[in-house]
Amino acid sequence: MWSVLSSGSNFVLESLETFVDSTGISMLFGDMGWGNVAMICVAFLLLYLAIKHKFEPLLLLTIAFGMLLSNLPGANMYHTELFAGGHVHWDIFVSKAGLLDYLYLGVKLGIYPCLIFLGVGAMTDFGPLIANPKSFLLGAAAQLGIFATFIGAYALDFSPEEAASIGIIGGADGPTSIYLTAILAPELLGPIAVAAYSYMALVPVIQPPIMRLLTTEKERKIKMKQLRPVSKTEKILFPLIITVIIALLLPSAAPLVGCLMLGNLMKECGVVDRLSKTVQNELMNIVVIFLGITVGATATAEAFINARTLFILLLGVIAFSFGTAGGVLLAKVMNLFAKEGKKINPLIGSAGVSAVPMAARVSQTEGQKADPSNFLLMHAMGPNVAGVVGSAVAAGILLSFLG
Amino acid sequence: MSILTVSWSWSEILWVALIGFCLVFILLVALIFIMKLFGACFQIRHQRSTKPVKTQPIISQEEIAAIATALKIYHSVLHDRESEVVTILSIKRAYSPWNSKIHGLTQLPSRK
Repeated sequence: MWSVLSSGSNFVLESLETFVDSTGISMLFGDMGWGNVAMICVAFLLLYLAIKHKFEPLLLLTIAFGMLLSNLPGANMYHTELFAGGHVHWDIFVSKAGLLDYLYLGVKLGIYPCLIFLGVGAMTDFGPLIANPKSFLLGAAAQLGIFATFIGAYALDFSPEEAASIGIIGGADGPTSIYLTAILAPELLGPIAVAAYSYMALVPVIQPPIMRLLTTEKERKIKMKQLRPVSKTEKILFPLIITVIIALLLPSAAPLVGCLMLGNLMKECGVVDRLSKTVQNELMNIVVIFLGITVGATATAEAFINARTLFILLLGVIAFSFGTAGGVLLAKVMNLFAKEGKKINPLIGSAGVSAVPMAARVSQTEGQKADPSNFLLMHAMGPNVAGVVGSAVAAGILLSFLG
Repeated sequence: MSILTVSWSWSEILWVALIGFCLVFILLVALIFIMKLFGACFQIRHQRSTKPVKTQPIISQEEIAAIATALKIYHSVLHDRESEVVTILSIKRAYSPWNSKIHGLTQLPSRK
């Protein structure tokens, strides 16, 4: 009996060796394993920020977990080679794809960002924008960050497509950034998504110093007159008008703007409450899970750990800062031509970067610091929602130039 | 790296950035005009549909104070008048098998 067993000892040892080699631990300490270890640490850091400090937890938590899953060697849940060269390799897809590869198709085909915009539309009140259409100007000015960063990224040796994808971070709009990057520079999706959502969480930190620097105490105290009431019919017609105009003038922005406005129409018409609630809650939550995990999965060690990621993070802050400054400065310029009593508080200009409703809340907070009796929130919501439309339009323009 | 990389010179990049930013402005300015026109139409319609409200003759602040004081004194001497009828209302609850207490309790065996 013993002799039979001892004769097979070599086989046992070989089997054990094969087993040990196939474990993730052995791969982790093999070639390039250090990169995976570093990415797992980054994932843990992001999880810590999301859970402990509540930095955009809905997305950062899922992104970080996706990052963790794709960097655990041997799990084979995500394969970069299936999406190499910017397109899906259908010939080897079914035989090789893991769970995250299948889910990533929603990003690659531009489905998730549009579905998220559907929910965003259903949660957005365009009333302040309809009451004060001039807010569109502030929403447009805040897109300065996108185009300034586009130039800056090109100067740092990124290709025009990559530069546009980095620039769109300045729109402070996660789904738009993901939509554009997935089409123009999918290899940068991980770092760009992480930068966009991290900086959106940091809007209350990034914006106030710039707002205070560019405005005087007197300007921050400007009180704006109450907005006119907006009828239900206006609110119903608004999404229809915007969809038709944007789709006709800029077809490349139609998927994003169309979904945003469809969601809003569902909310405002009041006859499809079930659909409106579904897109605001269940659908939105499901898509956020899929989007977060798959975008996080693209942040593999080879794609993330390089000097370019550092540049993207740096350019992201610059994009946000330029966007904020653009909105505030245009509000000041508009005040030069406005009559007394119709002047606008320049603090609401910074809300032109999307980041709904965080940027509007920052305007309100800063306004109340200057004058506690000043309520800017509803005034700031106008440029804020105009910024969502503006960043989608900017993405459409970049797509039409580069796509 | 994306395969279809556009190769542009610096001047083209600057032009794209400038034209792109201007296009965002032009599109959104067009939307402002449309929304203003749209808002003006609605306001005209709203003004037509609402009848003019007759304004009250202006009274002095002293008169307002006198009326307010008189109302205050009048209300302070008033007492609530109660009906003085005591009634016990019978409350009828329609129990169904879904919310009935008796169906929720263990029944004693019936002895015949």
